[in-house]
Amino acid sequence: MSVNNNSLVPAFKRPPSRVAIRKAPNYHVDLTALLDETLREFGLNVQGSRVLLKPNFVEPDPQGVINTHPAVVAAARECFLRLGARSVVVAEGAGHERDTEGILETIRLRHYLGPLAGKFVDLNLDDVRLVTTRTRASRAKELYLPRTVLEADFVVSMPKLKTHHWAGVTLSLKNMFGIVPGNCYGWPKNALHWAGLTNSILDINSTVRPDFAIVDGIIGMEGNGPVQGDAKPCGLLVAGDDPVAVDATCARIMGLVPERIKYIVQAGLLLGHLKSENIRQLGESPESVRTCFAVLDAFKRLRGEHAYP
Amino acid sequence: MPEGSPENITGDTPLLQRVYLPFLLEAHNPDGGWGYRRGGQSAVEPTSWVLLALKGVEESRNREVEKSGTIQLPDSSTPRLLNSWNVGVRWLSESQLPDGSWPSFAGQPRGCWVTAAASLALYTHRDSPDRVARGLRCISKTWPVEGRLWRRIGARLLRRDRAVRQNRSLRGWSWTPGTASWVEPTSHALIAFRHIPKALHPPGAERRRQLAERMLYDRMCPGGGWNSGNPLIYGAAGVPRIGPTVWALLALQDYKDRPETRQSLDWLEQAYSQIQGPGSLALAHLCLQLYDRQAPALESALAALNSNNQLLGDTLAAAWAAIALSGRPRWLSPEIRS
Repeated sequence: MSVNNNSLVPAFKRPPSRVAIRKAPNYHVDLTALLDETLREFGLNVQGSRVLLKPNFVEPDPQGVINTHPAVVAAARECFLRLGARSVVVAEGAGHERDTEGILETIRLRHYLGPLAGKFVDLNLDDVRLVTTRTRASRAKELYLPRTVLEADFVVSMPKLKTHHWAGVTLSLKNMFGIVPGNCYGWPKNALHWAGLTNSILDINSTVRPDFAIVDGIIGMEGNGPVQGDAKPCGLLVAGDDPVAVDATCARIMGLVPERIKYIVQAGLLLGHLKSENIRQLGESPESVRTCFAVLDAFKRLRGEHAYP
Repeated sequence: MPEGSPENITGDTPLLQRVYLPFLLEAHNPDGGWGYRRGGQSAVEPTSWVLLALKGVEESRNREVEKSGTIQLPDSSTPRLLNSWNVGVRWLSESQLPDGSWPSFAGQPRGCWVTAAASLALYTHRDSPDRVARGLRCISKTWPVEGRLWRRIGARLLRRDRAVRQNRSLRGWSWTPGTASWVEPTSHALIAFRHIPKALHPPGAERRRQLAERMLYDRMCPGGGWNSGNPLIYGAAGVPRIGPTVWALLALQDYKDRPETRQSLDWLEQAYSQIQGPGSLALAHLCLQLYDRQAPALESALAALNSNNQLLGDTLAAAWAAIALSGRPRWLSPEIRS
């Protein structure tokens, strides 16, 4: 189970991680075929498993810039079913907006998945259980977490490739904020900010470490993300079995230095690989697809030397 | 598909009777409360709103009786409604914590924003004024953390203060203890204070109320309307959202003529046609009605939205829809204050 997946292993004891970078110029290409090929490369064993896809659905946005595109979610769902999963549920607890159905209809998730009853779980409204966090980085020693997440066998974090005005970037680790239920913490989940934003990211991911990550980088967001930034077309899907390695790779693609992003560095100590020498890249290399993202002044220190002025 | 489930939305029976009331009654848990989703573990917020919805249904029936001048025989759902009501009120009363607050789920040790809705629900059912007073007393003495002097000084020195421009001395209420003020919990508390008679208010409540009202106007988005509570981030205007806008407007009904209120109502009217969630649609309709603004017919629009995803089993959305379809609830009307 993802909640007990031996997440806390020092980096030096971990085998190298694998991250695949695939070109996908737009949302109309055959994403299912692309992801199917990618997932089979990883040799994932999800036979008979309850798979939970955790996209990043934040606010109603018909432009498709803020939220993980439903075409990517639908493709992933189909792929995991093909791999033999017993069930694949899409689950999210939006951070700002209580009207989940309003978000889902605006982004047209139903158009891609069919009627959502039974396929989508609003984690903000789910039953909860108190769980002791496996790390104590933040002041939150215990968290109420949704039953659907705790009972999943295989969790897939599916963020959008975006900058973030508090954390620098929001990728597969930060995306897991969405599993924390609004019915206990509110909208936004302000208790996590007061407990320490970056430290909370570590605590959540150490407690429910994603087993896999698929990043929607076909159209990302730069500047004042995660909701007020500008669209950044990159034409990429990034996937991997180590969320830290996936996020580090994404940061490198964005022209940022992951070693300067506090929560990725913290996660790199216990949850996965940060250093590029420990990450086996499949498909494209980060350098070959680098697309430098504009960042707020407060985060210019995250940029590498190759970044645009 | 069972009769009365949200899937059955056709026919000439009013949506309230045919869909929402049966949904709410069927969603009632054996322990006496309601969950956020049909079949989910009982929680204070959905239980409170369902009780307010049942109150609205009862008021609506009474209005019909007054209008027709006849004593209407109870329909088949009435005994069940009364039973649900009594059992729900008891569950809610028993879920109150010793400090007067309510937690999100029964058994949790700390109270939170749901205390406002729970106090209001108990008050409208004329149950346990002492419990209501204790609830209000707890709300009144619970302060968010951002306005404390040392926090304000610290924030001035940090980058975040330049990122979010707002008056930190204006404080409302937070979602959970030890966190900052946000629009929705502040609005819920104000609604409770506005509609529960002052005899049950603790000392100092009036000052808290005034401060919180000023905080709401401070957090309004530049073009009107509210989002969760960040009107400007790094200089970019926040986008208003339906839910927070409705709650803030319901809390600020005493300021109908303020330009900011009118501007926000204008925004809500314009945004109305874009609403795609049943809960938001119901709330927006209720709000426009209370401000005597025109809103398109609710019933057919709700029926269309319901058919999309069968509400996703969302009890709160069903409760808000039932409240909106029942007409103006007395507990949201100004006259109750006198």
